[in-house]
Amino acid sequence: MDSGLISGIVTIVFVIVFIGIVWWAYSKSNKQRFEDAGKLPFDDDDTPAKQGDKQ
Amino acid sequence: MEATTYNYKVVRQFAIMTVVWGIVGMLVGVTLAAQLIWPELTFGIEWLSYGRLRPLHTNAVIFAFGGSAMFAVSYYIVQRTCQARLWGEKLAAFTFWGWTAVIVLAAITLPLGYTTSKEYAELEWPIDILITVVWVAYALVFFGTIIKRKTKHIYVSNWFFGAYILVIAILHIVNSAELPVTLTKSYSAYAGVQDAMIQWWYGHNAVGFFLTTAFLGMMYYFIPKQAGRPIYSYRLSVVHFWSLNFIYMWAGPHHLQYTALPDWAQSLGMVFSLMLLAPSWGGMMNGIMTLSGAWHKLRTDPILKFLVTALSFYGMSTFEGPMMAIKTVNALSHYTEWTIGHVHSGALGWVAMITIGSMYYLIPRLFGRESMFSTKMIEWHFWLSTIGVVLYIAAMWIAGVAQGLMWRASNADGTLTYSFAQVLNTMYPFYGIRLLGGLLFFCGMLMMAWNVWQTVRAGRVVNDAPIPQAVHA
Repeated sequence: MDSGLISGIVTIVFVIVFIGIVWWAYSKSNKQRFEDAGKLPFDDDDTPAKQGDKQ
Repeated sequence: MEATTYNYKVVRQFAIMTVVWGIVGMLVGVTLAAQLIWPELTFGIEWLSYGRLRPLHTNAVIFAFGGSAMFAVSYYIVQRTCQARLWGEKLAAFTFWGWTAVIVLAAITLPLGYTTSKEYAELEWPIDILITVVWVAYALVFFGTIIKRKTKHIYVSNWFFGAYILVIAILHIVNSAELPVTLTKSYSAYAGVQDAMIQWWYGHNAVGFFLTTAFLGMMYYFIPKQAGRPIYSYRLSVVHFWSLNFIYMWAGPHHLQYTALPDWAQSLGMVFSLMLLAPSWGGMMNGIMTLSGAWHKLRTDPILKFLVTALSFYGMSTFEGPMMAIKTVNALSHYTEWTIGHVHSGALGWVAMITIGSMYYLIPRLFGRESMFSTKMIEWHFWLSTIGVVLYIAAMWIAGVAQGLMWRASNADGTLTYSFAQVLNTMYPFYGIRLLGGLLFFCGMLMMAWNVWQTVRAGRVVNDAPIPQAVHA
């Protein structure tokens, strides 16, 4: 096998993997799951303490 | 019994040290910039010579300032988005003292001249071993917390942090493989072009995974929080994560264009660097679009200004980087000041600004205050930093292009038009502007230190931030 063929195969594999990732990320069945995950930083209230509660 | 509060102690320690090391690292940087104009500035003391201080500067700003910031925010974010207290309290404390010990050892050994001579990996083998031990402890604490999480999903920031921790471990161990001769001297396990390739595979991925992936995790948490709305597209962030990590790994050879490295490897590095533009800009857009509908907040909120300006610099330097990786452009830019300009557009514009913004968000919360002591001062800090970076990078662009053109200019008979000293002479005004830019940025850090000091003084140590006790499916 020459290096050109290897490059070709690797390129194709990478493209397939990329398409797979995009398909997985944007598939309908995963929509809810990713929306939930995106809200994670807001599930947890971290408003700073009130001013002047020095101890 | 299950813990009911978060571990803020280690976050607090690292957050404070971020400011301290930022000032130390940037002071060394300003000194170096001044030395380029006045070489006798440090009275010929060898410990303070340019060659000794330069690795101290890079190690201090990347691993001390950036590293402490990453420990602080990753410990904070992993706890808050997993709704679980840090796993391994003692190990977490060890990472703080261990990492601080590494920094102190670096600050002693580098000026003394102990170095492996590998860029960004100058520290000698005993310190390398300490770094490895601390890093393994870090990985245990981080992934241990992920495992004990109470939430169903793992937030995207934690994916970025996880990749950063894992890849930095691999890079450090492979690139630091060395044969110790004495306690303070070792030789690389690799030789020749292989050594160069491994070094720049390490060097570029230190940029990729330390200064990019890790700080993107920061961005994906603090921009939504400060803007008060979830990330524009979580799904895009998933694609961003995988494609960035896949591609970054291969870009290292662009540091070795036109060297003894085989030509195909140089081209590979160039092509992967060009492809990096796509995920980088995807991530930048994702962060910026998060503000859609909340743009008015930018007018009044200097913390948000820091975070969004950081993203703009991220966009700029991730456009510039791929361009500079193109062989013909690289032929002009390599070894010139342009590279220094590019690095600082990323390091000051992106890394430092996203860190500063995040610290202004974090520190009041760690010290029981509603906000920083002075918001006006954050605003001043923002403008000082922005003007400082712009002066810095603009000066270095002009200097770099001039330098590249003068170096390659030749007469009809094939001799060089300009001598090295003539080119150096042309650099002086730009070195002056660069020093001014760096000084402005440094002054901003001093203002931050004062602001943080006042905030901490009037606040209280928060050790009772409650973990939500809601039942999760």
